Amino acid sequence: MRILLVEDTHDVGEAIAKRFEATGHAVDWETNGRSAAEIIDFTEYALIILDVMLPGMDGFEILKSIRKSGNAVPVLILTARSEIDDRVSALDLGADDYLVKPFDFRELEARARVLMRRHSGGEATNLIKCGDIAVDRATRSVHVGQREIQLKRRELTLLEVLVARPGRVFSKDELLDQLFGFEEAANANAIELYVGRLRKKLEGAKAHIVTVRGLGYQLVSGDAS
Amino acid sequence: MHPEPSAHQPSLFARLARRISLVLGIGAALLVSAAWYYADTAADKAYDRLLVGAALQMAESLAVEDGKLSVRLPASAFELLGLADRDRIFYRVIDTNGRTLTGYDDLQDPSPPEGNSDAMRVEEGTYKGEDVRITRATRVLADPAVTGRAYVIVAQTNEARSALTRELTLRATILVIVMSLLAFAGAMLAIRYALQPVEHLGTAVRRRDPHDLTPVSVNVPRELDPFVGSINHFMGRLGERVDLLQRFIADAAHQIRTPLTALTAQIDLLGSGKMSKADRQHFDRVKERTGELSRLTNQLLSHAMVIHRADSVQLEPISLVDVARRAWRAAVPITVDPDIVVSFEAPEDRPFVLGDAVSLREAIVNVIDNALRHGARHRLEVRVSAGETQALVEVEDDGPGIPPEGWEKAMQRFSTSKSHEGSSGLGFAIAQEVAKAHGGSLSFRPRNERGFVVVLTLPLYC
Repeated sequence: MRILLVEDTHDVGEAIAKRFEATGHAVDWETNGRSAAEIIDFTEYALIILDVMLPGMDGFEILKSIRKSGNAVPVLILTARSEIDDRVSALDLGADDYLVKPFDFRELEARARVLMRRHSGGEATNLIKCGDIAVDRATRSVHVGQREIQLKRRELTLLEVLVARPGRVFSKDELLDQLFGFEEAANANAIELYVGRLRKKLEGAKAHIVTVRGLGYQLVSGDAS
Repeated sequence: MHPEPSAHQPSLFARLARRISLVLGIGAALLVSAAWYYADTAADKAYDRLLVGAALQMAESLAVEDGKLSVRLPASAFELLGLADRDRIFYRVIDTNGRTLTGYDDLQDPSPPEGNSDAMRVEEGTYKGEDVRITRATRVLADPAVTGRAYVIVAQTNEARSALTRELTLRATILVIVMSLLAFAGAMLAIRYALQPVEHLGTAVRRRDPHDLTPVSVNVPRELDPFVGSINHFMGRLGERVDLLQRFIADAAHQIRTPLTALTAQIDLLGSGKMSKADRQHFDRVKERTGELSRLTNQLLSHAMVIHRADSVQLEPISLVDVARRAWRAAVPITVDPDIVVSFEAPEDRPFVLGDAVSLREAIVNVIDNALRHGARHRLEVRVSAGETQALVEVEDDGPGIPPEGWEKAMQRFSTSKSHEGSSGLGFAIAQEVAKAHGGSLSFRPRNERGFVVVLTLPLYC
């Protein structure tokens, strides 16, 4: 996917660009704020990674103009500023996420992936419920009763699959396809691993994942029992 | 921290009141003495006239009959003296030969005035143990039978004139007291009025926004101008300092973070290349140390920031759930160990606290970060709850926790059990600093079978 990186520190920009290019993304790298703002006007991106302190036009200004023009592209802000006198935060200005420098590059990549997936998914606000488990596909948040729990990407995908058709038994192969697609090589053990983790994270919920021996897994709401 | 002045200076009002009442008191005493003196003189004059009149009438009544001096005291003279009804009268008539013709012959003869011996004079004297006023009237007789000077001596006790003096003095005193009280009250009102601008100025300075360091613009009398000038000068200097500190922290943040990010970026680039086993080990250590440096830098800047904000940011009502949820999302990395169950729990009724959202988020982020780094093995729970007067943010993990004897130390800056391991550094110190600035506290709960809990307690806003 196409990513716009706006970063004036050469060392940092280089590393970010390389990392994303290594995972198959196309990265346009701009070092000047004003020229970046112009490019955004006529190019469509899957993600914009924006530094705050930039020559020409600062990151917050660019963010404001993006949102003002009604562009909903995901924006991840990188900031080296302390919030000593920031009256408004990046999130208030419409950023989807932010990282404070210095950051872990794996974390940047993971967050970028989440943002791009959320955007390309284009889900409407759909809240799926099964018993006391609620999955909000728009915000990708999961609630067990009052409690919000954090799930990893594949755990969430697994839960989404199960929660969409409560009671239905999914075979391991079916789940493998859903979770990893056809390209990635994964074996049935991986499914057991994710089901195990998901069960642990859903502990305390009335709804639970039942193993149907020889067939696969199903989600049971737990209300009936 | 308000150092009490060791000896409190009496208020301006009290000082002025004391001085004015002293002056008024002395003035009143002088006026009363003067009133008494004039009353005494006036009473004496009035009654002396009567006395002199009576003496003259009596002297006038002396006549020579059959060659002898005879006295026929006129009733009118006694009526005149009878005006002072409680006083007693003594008289003595002395004939030309100096013998007492009638009356009390032991009534002393007032010494004749020098020079003109016939002039009427009234003098103080005593008779039968009482204070009296005495006068003598002279009658010059030129009868062939009796020639020479005859005298009439009249004395009168002092009761009536003393009574008159007393009454006049009393009335004058009442007037003086009333006037003094009026003057005092008027002066107090005037002082209060005159001191009002001082009060206004105090209120204006007190009511200021703590981070408003612009000059005070209150209309004050000319006398207070130097005072206001000093306040403004001081504010100006303080403002410069605050700005300087703020700029310094902001600059430091940017100047340190940018190369540090570049460093981590280059390390990240290196990491994807091939290297020998020994090189890989060194590389991993460099990477680890850089991570520590990054974290410490963030904590130092964050610490400076919360301390600065504690003094300069106005607190406002904020939803603790929103702040804690943002902190939770920011503090838990996506790349966290997938075997750790991370959850966030909040009540339906959203507790509000009076606070600075940035500082509070920083505090909660640091507590969660600590739990992730040093505690949580399989579980990390963040809970927000509200009691009657307090709101709580609890961070629970299933790690080993901190034993009670280490609690105090954990709150100190750069405390750590083993200095070479990633220290808890400033995390708890930041959280505690923020809690204090919000009138709350940071505390620990002893490790039980579920886990170890760090509690941030804040007063509820309602």
